[in-house]
Amino acid sequence: MPVIPAAYLKNRLITLVLTVLIAATLIWIIPRLSPVDPAEIALGRMASGAGTVANSDEILAQLRASMGIDGPLIWQYLSYIGNVLRFDFGLSTASFPTPVSSLIAAALPWTLGLMILSLVITFLIGNLLGALMVWDRSPKLVRVAIPAAMVFTSIPPILSGLLLMWVFAAKLRWFPLTGAYGLTVEPGWSLDFILSVLHHGFLPALSIVIVTFGFWALGMRGLMITVQGEDYVKLAEAKGLRPRYVLYRYMIRNAILPQITAFALKIGLLVAGQVLVERIFAYNGMGKLLYDAILNQDFPVIQGVSFVIILMTAISVFLVDLLYPFIDPRIRHDSA
Amino acid sequence: MPDTPVLTLRDLSIDFPTPQGVVQAVKALSLTIQAGRRVGFIGESGSGKTTTALAIMRMLAEPGRVSNGTIDLAGTDVLALSEEEMRRTRLSRVAYIPQGAMNSLNPVMRVEPQMWDAVIAHEGALPRGTLKARSAAALASVGLPAHTGNLYPHELSGGMKQRVCIALGILLDPDLIIADEPTSALDVVTQRQVMQTLNDIQRKIGSGLILIGHDMGLMAQSVDELAVLKDGELVEHGTVAQIIDAPKHPYTQDLIRSVPLVGGESFLNPDRSAPAPRRSSREPLLRFDGVSKTYGTVTALHPMSFALQGDTPQIISIVGQSGSGKSTMGGVMLGFNPPTTGRVLYEGRDVYGMGAADSLDFRKNVQAVFQDPYGCFNPFYRVSHALSFPFRRFGLSEGKAHTQRAMEDACAAVGLDPDLVLPRYPHQLSGGQRQRLIVARALMLSPKLLIADEPVSMVDASLRATILSNIYDLKDKHGISILYITHDLATAYHVSDFVMVLYKGRVVEAGPPGQVIGDPRHPYTRLLIDSIPWPDLNRPWGSDDWTPEALEHEAQAAAAQFRGNVPGFDLQTE
Repeated sequence: MPVIPAAYLKNRLITLVLTVLIAATLIWIIPRLSPVDPAEIALGRMASGAGTVANSDEILAQLRASMGIDGPLIWQYLSYIGNVLRFDFGLSTASFPTPVSSLIAAALPWTLGLMILSLVITFLIGNLLGALMVWDRSPKLVRVAIPAAMVFTSIPPILSGLLLMWVFAAKLRWFPLTGAYGLTVEPGWSLDFILSVLHHGFLPALSIVIVTFGFWALGMRGLMITVQGEDYVKLAEAKGLRPRYVLYRYMIRNAILPQITAFALKIGLLVAGQVLVERIFAYNGMGKLLYDAILNQDFPVIQGVSFVIILMTAISVFLVDLLYPFIDPRIRHDSA
Repeated sequence: MPDTPVLTLRDLSIDFPTPQGVVQAVKALSLTIQAGRRVGFIGESGSGKTTTALAIMRMLAEPGRVSNGTIDLAGTDVLALSEEEMRRTRLSRVAYIPQGAMNSLNPVMRVEPQMWDAVIAHEGALPRGTLKARSAAALASVGLPAHTGNLYPHELSGGMKQRVCIALGILLDPDLIIADEPTSALDVVTQRQVMQTLNDIQRKIGSGLILIGHDMGLMAQSVDELAVLKDGELVEHGTVAQIIDAPKHPYTQDLIRSVPLVGGESFLNPDRSAPAPRRSSREPLLRFDGVSKTYGTVTALHPMSFALQGDTPQIISIVGQSGSGKSTMGGVMLGFNPPTTGRVLYEGRDVYGMGAADSLDFRKNVQAVFQDPYGCFNPFYRVSHALSFPFRRFGLSEGKAHTQRAMEDACAAVGLDPDLVLPRYPHQLSGGQRQRLIVARALMLSPKLLIADEPVSMVDASLRATILSNIYDLKDKHGISILYITHDLATAYHVSDFVMVLYKGRVVEAGPPGQVIGDPRHPYTRLLIDSIPWPDLNRPWGSDDWTPEALEHEAQAAAAQFRGNVPGFDLQTE
């Protein structure tokens, strides 16, 4: 096993930090291009609740200060960067004065659980099915059934989600309609709670799986076709190896390499991509948090969620960079 | 055990049903191979040699199938075996060493496990120690040290990979070994070593051997019997001596004649009309000024200086094995690979410091032909696009009709029918046709210099002479100077005006071909020449009486031999 050289690690870490810094800067700039003043929105919300607000100028100034949008731009920027690095994204304007970080902390585990689980399942199923589409010893049924199942890939996730809810929750009552866990269980590491979470997570996860497995299957199919024509696969057959062994160790093992990079990139997309799934299942994850924040023009939350998404992508790409030389011996740590 | 057939083919016919009708790849082939005999299958691409071999392995590509006849492998009817029985037969009784050893090993597995999995697939799980001993023994038998087993395929040279494939083939002492062009990707010196390894090991285990190839010289030096195939038919079969000395079929005669020989009859038809020189500058066409190239700690090219004047068109050959630095030299000349020291000057201008206009002029006037005719075309475009695009890009076109005429002339110049090839896609053409089109494409731009890097090493032997005479015509009829990079001394002997022999990035011998190749003085040049397999049984290939270390010692001790310059080309000797 090769050891990761310190110089390589340092290089990758610098890249990681730079990516995150640039992304944080963009996140800071973009909302400032919008003509909307979040302080006025907050004030408006207060006004519509109370009917009238006295000394509104003073309140507005206070709101701006608390949102970090007063003073010179460069100062705003520097204090923003300093805060972001401490995961302090300020206070939510919609559910004022809850800190954004605590909103994210509450939502993140749900998304990580649901999304990463469904992504892993999709990755495994999609790649296996894609490989079976190409393998010349797949049962005929498999070869016919998989392309047919691809139809699901073209259904928007909200539709498949609604369909699953209607069939399995409303009609058959096998699974609960919405929510992340039952109202009667106490959150904690108890068996009841875990079972309830799995029970509630099944339908949202399934709706993601059936909609996205085609992405992996089609990609894998293309890669497998290339690998199938390689000389080493021919020699493997000529060696008299068992066909299934050739499939796993010679074909899939080589074809899957580019898919692993794609997997790392997908981690970031997964929150943004599944907003609507969380929404219709009333699943309290990052997607729903982001969705609500956009509706309410809750800039601090939008910024916080975006930052976490970017951070997740950057970290997963970083990990794949470190991992890659172990799964493909032709790539070396020092060659990058 | 003479007279025990290990393989009997009876009336073997193989069909490929296609939407355009059934293609008969092999037609009623009957042949018997005795134990311990080496049989060569020789013929051009498409003659059915590989198809026959794959049929014996029952590994025909879809939609190919055996339509008639039987395959008898030492008493077993191969076509009657079940899938599982056939799997067990592969490697244990008949081993297939596929063409292209470069890619025959799984890139993500070390060498050893790729040998172990083969043993386990036939003999079940074995203790690790036993497996290790088996793989080490097989590697040792092909002359590879045991630690090779711990390496990944990309860490091996081409010759080593080919040896690993041979070691794999003999793991289970098969009755028959089929080697499909095992040395086509190797240079002559490595080819000789690998063939000797293969022959030694085959003699030791006493199996039959089928050697598939298209090089009559290699066959003559390696096999006992020859089977000549043409368009799926066995046109001639006999002992090597019968076929080399008295070929009956005209096709066999062609195959023997098509091998270019050092000192032999030339395959060129020189035209002595001496075209006008293409020269627009008083500076030399191409000049190397102390050029060297190092990669990390490895020196690929030691400092080198020469000037090609270009007053009269010339062909300068650069010969050497893989790793001698000749392709590095080509890349440096083409402006793809900046030298570590020194300057490359094209008509007095530094190739690596040119402005946009000069660079365009350089690109137009210095064209290239590469080794792989398959990778040089964008598969999405028709040939007409591939040919006309650079012509228009460099502003040579005076309208559609002019472009069309230029394309037709260029095709005709390389002996292709323009109506036939221009509307096609690259994948519809043979390797030889593609390589000629690349020559045609270069010709259309009427360059001053052509750099041809191994232009014929991937095409059939019978076509090599044709393509080389196309290239020769560029000089002879069109006045283009050519740098011909090759490992094939016989062709260099015929086409070139000047030869440089490169060994480990240094010129070890240089001069007119008649002297350098006709009468070599440097030990390395002699080794290269001795390694050429001749289609002549009275000229033995020689025994492997040297090791790389001995050669290195000798080559370093020997002074570089400069056999005189020719006018118009000055190689500076230090």
